[in-house]
Amino acid sequence: MSVSLQERLARIRINAFLYLRADWLARLIDIFGSAEEILKQDADTLARQAQMNPSTAAHFLREAFAINPQEELEKTEKYGGRILIPEDEEYPQALRNIKEAPVALYVLGQLPRANQACVGMVGTRKITAYGRRAAATLAEGVAEAGAVIVSGLARGVDSQCHAAAVRLKKPTVAVIGTGLGRCYPPENRELARAILQHGGAIVSELPFNKPPNAFHFPRRNRIIAALSEVVVVVEGEIKSGALITAKLALEMGKDVLAVPGPIDSPQSAGPNNLIRDGAGVVTSVKDIIDYIPNPGLFDLQAPADALQQQPPQTQLPDTHKRVLEYIGTQEMTADQLVEALGLSVPEAAAVLFELEVQGLLSCRAGLYSKSKF
Amino acid sequence: MLASVRTCALRGIDGFEVVSEVDISSGMPTFSVVGLPDAEVKESKERVIAAIRNSGFDFPLKRITVNLSPAEKRKSGTQFDLPIAAGILAASGALSKEAAEKLSTLLLLGELALDGSLRPCAGVLPMLISVKNQVRTAVIAPDNFLEGQSAGGSFITPRTLRDLADWLEGKLPQEQVQMAYVPPPEDTPPSPLDFSDVKGQAVAKRALEIAAAGGHNVLLIGLPGTGKSMLAKRFAGILPPLSEEESLEITKIYSVCNLLGKMTRRLHARPFRDPHHTISEAALIGGGSNPRPGEVSLAHNGVLFLDEFAEFSRSTLEVLRQPLENGYVTISRAKETVTYPARFTLIAAMNPCPCGNLGHPHKACTCSPVQISRYQSKISGPLLDRIDLTVNLNPVTYSDWNKAAEGDPSAQIAARVLAARQRQQARFKGTATTANAFMTPQQIKEFCPLPAGADAILEAAMRKFGLSARSLDKVLKTARTIADLEGKEQIENAHLMEVLQYRPLDRKGVPDL
Repeated sequence: MSVSLQERLARIRINAFLYLRADWLARLIDIFGSAEEILKQDADTLARQAQMNPSTAAHFLREAFAINPQEELEKTEKYGGRILIPEDEEYPQALRNIKEAPVALYVLGQLPRANQACVGMVGTRKITAYGRRAAATLAEGVAEAGAVIVSGLARGVDSQCHAAAVRLKKPTVAVIGTGLGRCYPPENRELARAILQHGGAIVSELPFNKPPNAFHFPRRNRIIAALSEVVVVVEGEIKSGALITAKLALEMGKDVLAVPGPIDSPQSAGPNNLIRDGAGVVTSVKDIIDYIPNPGLFDLQAPADALQQQPPQTQLPDTHKRVLEYIGTQEMTADQLVEALGLSVPEAAAVLFELEVQGLLSCRAGLYSKSKF
Repeated sequence: MLASVRTCALRGIDGFEVVSEVDISSGMPTFSVVGLPDAEVKESKERVIAAIRNSGFDFPLKRITVNLSPAEKRKSGTQFDLPIAAGILAASGALSKEAAEKLSTLLLLGELALDGSLRPCAGVLPMLISVKNQVRTAVIAPDNFLEGQSAGGSFITPRTLRDLADWLEGKLPQEQVQMAYVPPPEDTPPSPLDFSDVKGQAVAKRALEIAAAGGHNVLLIGLPGTGKSMLAKRFAGILPPLSEEESLEITKIYSVCNLLGKMTRRLHARPFRDPHHTISEAALIGGGSNPRPGEVSLAHNGVLFLDEFAEFSRSTLEVLRQPLENGYVTISRAKETVTYPARFTLIAAMNPCPCGNLGHPHKACTCSPVQISRYQSKISGPLLDRIDLTVNLNPVTYSDWNKAAEGDPSAQIAARVLAARQRQQARFKGTATTANAFMTPQQIKEFCPLPAGADAILEAAMRKFGLSARSLDKVLKTARTIADLEGKEQIENAHLMEVLQYRPLDRKGVPDL
């Protein structure tokens, strides 16, 4: 069914009102027949017919007329993107199925095809070394197996998961909490560019230049949950966006998996609680892939499991292996390594440099930890 | 009657000769000093009157005019008391003709107490050095004697104005007003601070060794209590010993600031300055309407330690850029422009984040990424560009601390540093460059050829650590120093890899792509 340009512009207008849930907007469209029709009403009629609070109705109309839909289209197209509405064929079926389907969806890049399984991987912004390791290892495995990682481009777990896919040149989908014209957090600009370069997509339901706002993020989490076949919580505090995503996924009837963590780590409290409440336990990439429903529909490879299989460390010189072994699951300073392994500082520096460049170690504020299991 | 007495004044850390002319004529009793005197010179009138009276002379109740020539240059300091007083004695006829003649061959520097005794004044050494060729004998206060000795020449050191007058008249034997030459001490006692006092922190010690060897600036990032200031205080001890010339330079600066004290002949230890972070721009860099050297100049040829680097006001830090780049500061005032030397090694120390726990093995950092990057961005890029080595100092647990090795004592490190410095001196012979850190782009090209395989390392570093092309020069200079420490002719890949571990602040937690 094709939609007139006028109606499309009207949808972009009503989509700009963020204080009503998307299902309310859909209901308004149902009542009046089209978005164009809604915008022809005055606030009183709107309020009466849709049983809305008159002040909300007035606010709604004000916001809808405050943006310039033509300009939204132009700007999005200038960046090589498009604005989808549910009637469009490209609009993801998974989103059409949910109650709160976005009225308009701004898309940059390539959305996953029907034969690509999507795995939502979410977690805290305050990532620990353990979380970094888990996110990188699992996300690489998932991407390697042919699934598309869906996350939110936030700091911490989200960025780690997207970056893992990008490193393997695999597509990944970022559902962001700002308009497409913004990058938040700003340091992820390069990551966003890389996502698009490797066939991924950046998606938002917010007007093009919308700056970040705390309430945007829980709202976009429903899109992550809807797009994903299964949601994996890597790390997250008790009250965190990741747990909101998990809850939304459960409401949509999707499986939620959690990566168990130390019981004294606040960042692992979220996933540990989920496990207690019955979430699936992730200890390997296979655990995630096995949870994807209807695997016959998707192109998936059997995961080469990094957790069971030793990474290709056999080529490493002895000193490098000793350093990796000694670090184990801990975070260590160069001084500790120098002391414990009897290395000289220049020796240790060269070893640490090589391990870092090979992506086996990462260093933060002078603490070295393994980047993968 | 007219009398003229030679004396000296300071401009920057150099002196110039001043003639104090005294004219006494009949008329209303007045006493005026002309020739652009500063406040402390004008005040000298009161001291002079009292000192002359209390020395048993009559103060002439006539019209007294003192002119300090050259009259167009500003004069400050208290050294004019003695020449003015002596000039008045000569002009008033209190001294005999022979004594007055003898007086005119001398150079007089000294502050007078009200009882007529001589007090030390600031800047004696630089003033004497700059008039060395014109003056044979100088009259200075006994407390300035050790300092004056460094300038050479002969000295008369009377205790009082009366002693000086009596000696001029021939009533007092020369031995009474001349201190015996004090030979310099055999060798200076080693500093009680030693690198082996600091347990563990092998990486930071190594970085400081490299810094000492190549004149590089260092940023230590770590919590209070991890040994930042302990290490910084010991840093001066591993620097190569001061050369005669360097020692003279810093002694001159300390003399100008009146920080020498009567027991010091010459500074033999490299200075260590650690100003508080509330320091003003003028105090750090030097200045004032009457310019004085600041902390950067007091740290000349030594160490400037700035603890809590991120707490210094931004404008204060920015003024550090000139001395870090050029090795001197120029202070321009409407009336004059002076230049003070300021070539020092900067050791800066700061917390990793506002809460201080970032990088703590056991405590969690409670700062948001935004807070951390805001805190770290207090240090501007241009300033960070002048810092070659950055080290994280992480707190150690007791058991680690207990096990930790003490490392090499300062003397051993100093020997390695000295050897590396000598290698550099041979390399830079005939150029203005003194150490690897100050190499010009031309010299970097000449002395830092990349070994085979280095391209891959630098490319990886740029990709992985976000190393900018601009910081590549720093990497090369520092690698050159490491090669010098190891006695290698060429930079090797291992040297580059080591330098790359001392890179600045993390890339704000962005994962690798």
